Amino acid sequence: MTNVANAQPRSRFVPGQPDMWAFVLFEALVFTAYFIVYIIRRTQSPDLFLESQAHLDLRVGVFNTLVLLASSWSVARCVQAARERSLGAALTNAFLTMLFGFVFLVSKVLEWVTKIEEGFGFTTNEFFSFYYFLTAIHFLHLLIGFVVLAIGAYQLASPARRSQEIIETCATYWHTIDFLWVLIFALLYVMR
Amino acid sequence: MNSGFEKRLIVVLLVLSAITITQLGVGSLDGQDALRPNAAITSGAIVIALIKVRIIIREFMEVRHAPVLLCRLTDLWVVFAGVSLLGCYFVGMTFSTAEGLG
Repeated sequence: MTNVANAQPRSRFVPGQPDMWAFVLFEALVFTAYFIVYIIRRTQSPDLFLESQAHLDLRVGVFNTLVLLASSWSVARCVQAARERSLGAALTNAFLTMLFGFVFLVSKVLEWVTKIEEGFGFTTNEFFSFYYFLTAIHFLHLLIGFVVLAIGAYQLASPARRSQEIIETCATYWHTIDFLWVLIFALLYVMR
Repeated sequence: MNSGFEKRLIVVLLVLSAITITQLGVGSLDGQDALRPNAAITSGAIVIALIKVRIIIREFMEVRHAPVLLCRLTDLWVVFAGVSLLGCYFVGMTFSTAEGLG
């Protein structure tokens, strides 16, 4: 474990714990499998999927993506600030990341509520089953991300337990939530 | 905070945001034809998404500083995702069109 106080400039390094990278690659493969099934089913009923997709608001998808990108930016700043022992700045960026995550969470819930009020539920058709499945499983990862960020903030709050490796591990998990959403956005909102 | 790194993070965020806003335009390109399959828009959406993912991995996740093995593994996944998603789309659409004609 690397303490922030003892952090030295590194040439080539694995950001965070290698175990987290194994998990990230595993998650990436699991989500790729979901996406493959989605595309195969989509090509079998293109008209149904296109007609259903037209009920989603592309602008909401873009907004959510921009918010998560901003959260990735702030968590990257958090890591860098911790590395430079600017612990106040690191903690501020960790909370900023939580704020962006919370905005995404509220936006996603509002979108679900709107769709359900419009009559598009999980069982409406296959497109909406995939829509709710993919966004809900991503949402679950986001909720876990809040716990992970809280662990990072807890690490930053006290010099006694501060570990740069754990902070980088927490950031790696959060970035994973971001890049998985980038793909979900393209597949649910943009593709034809 | 290191001003060089700070500037780099801002540039990355701006590039990713600009690409995302471009997708708003790409998603509206077909206008009235939005209810028809469009291979160009689909390919563009998937390729742009994977470019964004790679930028996030390289820049925000700092894989550009990681050992070569991690760089190669992440790149391999990006290529695998691209080939499998685009491959499934084109093969699926070919079968779907053939069934429609049959």
